[in-house]
Amino acid sequence: MLFLGPAIALTFLFFVIPVLIDIAVSFTDLDRTLRIGKFTTEQYQKVFEGDRRLPQVVGLTFVYAFGTLAIFNVTFGLVLALTTTSLNKVSGGFFRGVWLLPRMSPSVLYILLWLWVINPSDVGLLNQVLMPLLGLAKPLDPMTSAPVALIIIANGFIGASLGMIIFTAAIRGIPEHLFYAAEVDGAGTLAKIRFITLPALRWPISFVTIYQTLSLLVSFEYILLLTKGGPFYDTTVFALYVYRRAFTSGQYGYGAALALFLIVIGAAAALLAWRFFDLQRLLQHPRIEVH
Amino acid sequence: MAARARSLRRTKAIALYAFLIAVSLPIILPYFWLMTIAFSARAGVAETLVLWRSLAVLVPVVIVFWLTAMLARNRRQLWLGLTAIALVAAAAFALLVGPDLHLRNFIFLVEPDFASVVRSRVGAVHGAIQFPSVWQAFGNSLLIAGSQTVIVLTVASLAAYYLSRFQFPARAAMLRSLLVLHAFPVLTLIVPMFLMLYWIGLLDTLLGVILVLVAFELPFAIFIMKGFFDAVPWDIEMSALTDGASRRRAFLRVVLPQVRNGLLAVAVFTFIRGWEEYIFVFTFLIRNTNWTMSLYMYYVRDDVMGVDYGVVSAVGVFYLVPSLILYLAAQRYLLQMSIGGVKG
Repeated sequence: MLFLGPAIALTFLFFVIPVLIDIAVSFTDLDRTLRIGKFTTEQYQKVFEGDRRLPQVVGLTFVYAFGTLAIFNVTFGLVLALTTTSLNKVSGGFFRGVWLLPRMSPSVLYILLWLWVINPSDVGLLNQVLMPLLGLAKPLDPMTSAPVALIIIANGFIGASLGMIIFTAAIRGIPEHLFYAAEVDGAGTLAKIRFITLPALRWPISFVTIYQTLSLLVSFEYILLLTKGGPFYDTTVFALYVYRRAFTSGQYGYGAALALFLIVIGAAAALLAWRFFDLQRLLQHPRIEVH
Repeated sequence: MAARARSLRRTKAIALYAFLIAVSLPIILPYFWLMTIAFSARAGVAETLVLWRSLAVLVPVVIVFWLTAMLARNRRQLWLGLTAIALVAAAAFALLVGPDLHLRNFIFLVEPDFASVVRSRVGAVHGAIQFPSVWQAFGNSLLIAGSQTVIVLTVASLAAYYLSRFQFPARAAMLRSLLVLHAFPVLTLIVPMFLMLYWIGLLDTLLGVILVLVAFELPFAIFIMKGFFDAVPWDIEMSALTDGASRRRAFLRVVLPQVRNGLLAVAVFTFIRGWEEYIFVFTFLIRNTNWTMSLYMYYVRDDVMGVDYGVVSAVGVFYLVPSLILYLAAQRYLLQMSIGGVKG
């Protein structure tokens, strides 16, 4: 018990108890006074009929998650993996290193750089480059003119690198002789990608898709730092909506009710993730005695 | 025919490089700008003159460097060429950029109340944020990341060793639930976690944050460590036991040294996660004496940015560099570990 005790206690205290608290609190009217007045189901009534902002938030969440996933996490990750693996090792590694930079930077700093890039005056990096290039008279302001595209790109620059690493490893694992055989048969670069590389990547691609869908649905850190969910509610995805309701408006009860949906989605996806791990190996018999 | 094939191949290679350089520039430029502002901005203005000037030096240097590496016939030529380029580059850099470089933006390292100094340039500001000393924030970050690392290492290796070596009734169920916990997105628990910390009186304490972060890192750390323990042959331990060592002693003296790599990997990544942590500390810590580096950075950005870009980027460099160094040191483990992250 000395061995397992601390781990069990900590996970019980910080995983199981919070879920129970969340369920309990979602049936109360807990607000910013942090006192429970009465037990009620009004939070759920609000979720299902009272909250007029909710449909827009859910819609945005799908646009955001699907857009980031389709453009960056899978497609661009794949493009990066394909292009860098066809260069020599040093150059390929260099470009992969560059793309890992955003993932390796602390979130506050990464978003700080974004704020400088999109600064709506003529000091912003984007405006310094684009204004003379396109001959613009007025500086661009992506934060108000294209906020959704902005959060997709800012998240995508980080998201693309996970796909890039996993796909690169998978491409390296394809036996060389397949490519030689295809070349002898007269296949060009595109044909080789289409008939050898992509089929070999089916499993990694579905892993990245499922895993990243989950992270995009539940994470809001970069959006909170970049746009604070604004202008107005234009970039408030569901997870951020939960956060804003609970911590900005102080409606903890309502926030808990909304969070319960996320928890259920998270748990379902976590159960699904079982299939991606090698359970047999994990559950192999221990090497020592039975007691 | 052969010549055509060769030129086709060269065109393809050039196209590939052009594409990769084009898509990588938007990432490199901001980081580079951060560096140049931190070391060159004066009177708070975000000058880009230095950025473009140093680029004017660097870009040709990189191109010539690359060409030399490609064209050099032997090692001697290569070294001669590279040295010559490096000398010319250093001279050009010193001439064009050198006079603009200075360290005054790092004033926050020595002056806790740097914000007032900076603000005094634009006149009195009312109701501004009071900053703690940067070393306090630095210390808090070290404390959080450090104690989190120690606790995670201890608890995870104990549990992982037990799971790897002993058979007990709930073992399979426990491994399964660990797996689910590992994939479970902890960010969804932030609301009940906040309430829980409030009710047990740990809100706005470093201890509360440490415990939360430890719990969240545990499932993953146990997994990694179990994998390493599984790889240690049972014979080593067996011989220690037959030589009369107790179970505990065999674990400490014989098995633990065998999994040094695993311990190191888990330690570095737990530390980085603690160092970078933003959302939980932002939500759970309030007093400015409890600020971590991420909160310090955030409030500097929020408060001083309109006034002084130089100081903001100097803080940024100060915050970014330890993180990057740790990542580079632990590069080898990045693949297996990043799968455990929550970053979108």
